[in-house]
Amino acid sequence: MPDDCIFCRVVSGGEPTSIVYEDDNVVAFLDILPISPGHTLIVPRRHATHLADLDPGDAARMFQAGQRVAAALRASGLRCEAVNLLLNDGAEAGQRVFHTHLHVIPRFVGDNSRLRRTEGDVPLREELEEVADKIRRALG
Amino acid sequence: MEQDCVFCRIARGESRASLIYEDEAVVAFLDIRPVTQGHTLVIPRRHATYLAELDDADGGRIFQVGQRVAGALRGSGLRCEGINFFLADGEVAGQEVFHVHLHVIPRHLNDGFGLRHPLGYGTMRPREELDDLAGRIKGALLSR
Repeated sequence: MPDDCIFCRVVSGGEPTSIVYEDDNVVAFLDILPISPGHTLIVPRRHATHLADLDPGDAARMFQAGQRVAAALRASGLRCEAVNLLLNDGAEAGQRVFHTHLHVIPRFVGDNSRLRRTEGDVPLREELEEVADKIRRALG
Repeated sequence: MEQDCVFCRIARGESRASLIYEDEAVVAFLDIRPVTQGHTLVIPRRHATYLAELDDADGGRIFQVGQRVAGALRGSGLRCEGINFFLADGEVAGQEVFHVHLHVIPRHLNDGFGLRHPLGYGTMRPREELDDLAGRIKGALLSR
């Protein structure tokens, strides 16, 4: 457990935190820079810098906790008409804290969050098959 | 299992898809409108329209397969400097196909993808406000 990891300090109770849920493996708490009110982060207790370091059992429990928190957000009375789950793995993907975390973000009409994407050409099936083949080979 | 659900048809092998991975619970295949090359969707075989209907074990499996696909993308030779997992639950969140799916998106510099934040994002919220919100969410969790 790296001393300088802020989420490890959250997990060990060494950081002021608004906890939503915790069990033996995961802790869920509110993001201090929320995209919308109720924006929750789910972290494994065991430090994992990237997805590649994350225990698969912890990964499953993170998602299951995310499912429960999503349902709770919808029932909480907070504005929540839909939910985004988001995980950023690596600085290029927007990861800022290097302890794997799943964002659970309440969404509602007029919240001004939007997915930004470049609309490219729809690839041909042969192109997709070529790409799929590369990934399948890497999967082993 | 819904007759008219395009992802159910893919899971049954009735619709063409570029498959990446499949097992008894989960199927992974390429998005036909990729954000970047290698953009993969991971779905449960069992139909679930929303997260609320998704079997707990299927949820865990989807995430684990996403993790494996992420590792493969990084090792595939495709451009991949980071990975996003993204799931839209409900139309307002951007859900377009109503069979739960996890996006696994390879990212690289200037690829044009991201969640655009609302005005005012980046303001640190006071602890009392966060504690109050956490209490309401916890209450809703316990009453379920």
